[in-house]
Amino acid sequence: MQKHLLTMRVNGEQVELAVRPNATLLDVLREDLELTGVKEGCSEGACGACAVLMNNEPIRSCLTLALEANGAEILTIEGLATGGRLHPLQEAFVEQGAVQCGFCTPGMILSSKALLDRNPQPNDEDIKTALAGSFCRCTGYAKILEAVRAARDGDVGNEGS
Amino acid sequence: MRLPPFEYQAPSTLDEALKIKRGQGAAAQILAGGTDLIVNFKHRLFSPATVISLNNIAELKRIEVTHDALVLGAGASLAEVASHPAVNEHFPILVKAIDSIGALGIQRFRGTIGGNLLLQPRCIFYNQSHYWRMSKGLCHRTGGKDCLALEGSDSCHSICSGDTVPTLLALSAQLALAGGGGKRVAPLAEFFTGRGESPWNIMPEEILTEIRIPLPWAPISWSYQRLALRPAVDFPLVNAAAAAIVEKGKLEHFRLVIAALGPAPMVLREVEARLKGAAPTREALDLAQDAAVRVAEGVVVANASASKEYRIQMAGALARRATGEALGLA
Repeated sequence: MQKHLLTMRVNGEQVELAVRPNATLLDVLREDLELTGVKEGCSEGACGACAVLMNNEPIRSCLTLALEANGAEILTIEGLATGGRLHPLQEAFVEQGAVQCGFCTPGMILSSKALLDRNPQPNDEDIKTALAGSFCRCTGYAKILEAVRAARDGDVGNEGS
Repeated sequence: MRLPPFEYQAPSTLDEALKIKRGQGAAAQILAGGTDLIVNFKHRLFSPATVISLNNIAELKRIEVTHDALVLGAGASLAEVASHPAVNEHFPILVKAIDSIGALGIQRFRGTIGGNLLLQPRCIFYNQSHYWRMSKGLCHRTGGKDCLALEGSDSCHSICSGDTVPTLLALSAQLALAGGGGKRVAPLAEFFTGRGESPWNIMPEEILTEIRIPLPWAPISWSYQRLALRPAVDFPLVNAAAAAIVEKGKLEHFRLVIAALGPAPMVLREVEARLKGAAPTREALDLAQDAAVRVAEGVVVANASASKEYRIQMAGALARRATGEALGLA
């Protein structure tokens, strides 16, 4: 297999590396770039743990060849906090207790970010549709829904108050 | 889960892609969105020598309205099709069908309209890991000579599972395919072979380029019905689409399609012939239901996550609902 040059922006930084054609975006993000916030769950697209944003759209990194991301802008959970401050969605997940084992959390938060960027005032149905196909095996869905609602309403940063 | 080894090419024009396909034929596999194909690779259902990505071919992503048709580039993403103003204006049924596909985070932005149409037919004995399949015999699609769902069958009964298939068929869509001898246009109705091991009338050197939907001469009333265990992620257990044109109280055009039953979608022509020209009445509902059950009985085998008998009865129920909604009788 001939390696190909892959150029993309990951979390705001330009990266360039040679990759095998049969490497998925998940493989490259986790193994080459050591962004282990991207999780491998089912590896068949059904669970949502590997969700990242490609050009602001939620996609499954396990179903995307790394080379298909050539020229794209990728956002993983590692790129969400700015200047040491958590993103409001991350804060909301912490404050609402929407994280249990945490394995689904990166995918949940990134999918929610894509939703809020597209539709800043989603109703419960919109949120559920955006998160359908993202599985939380701790079954903490009610708290996840509350966290997205809180982020939508700007109801974050209240911890300890 | 690892992918099998393959070479990768991402040409920027259709001509280049066709040239590679001509050179390698079936050994080169076309990759559009990959949301289903990559899973099939991981399960070792396909191990192509070369993967040809259509990602860089802008001409395959065009959506345009000509004087008589809506033309969808086969590589247009499901999100692009579903949000296009012309699609929403002329064919909201297609938007409904696309909305029902899997989940937003899986297929919506990566999946393509051509890919949904050319979704590999599915079977519970086929869409499994290599490890799982090792415990069963081979079937028509994996190099054997039998069907694991219907012993002694001389062909494969995998299920055509694309949500847009019955919809596009109800809208009398045509396909444009490019190949060695230039472009050809074929009715979608003639595209399916009914054999799961080679489900489409497509040559190894051909690439699906466009889906053309004729603009209706009068307003269409329509219905898309789908049954699945869970609305998200799951493929349909049965689906149905109906399109009708009613003028001055008379049914001028009617088409009813049921699918997700066997390798080919089924157009219920007999219902169409019986209803055309008459005023729509509730008798149409019984007619559609009975015809759908009869057709389903001849097609459905025990190869999905619901029983054969249930899927046959539900084909009738969905044909009834689709007819009722399209004819305003519901």
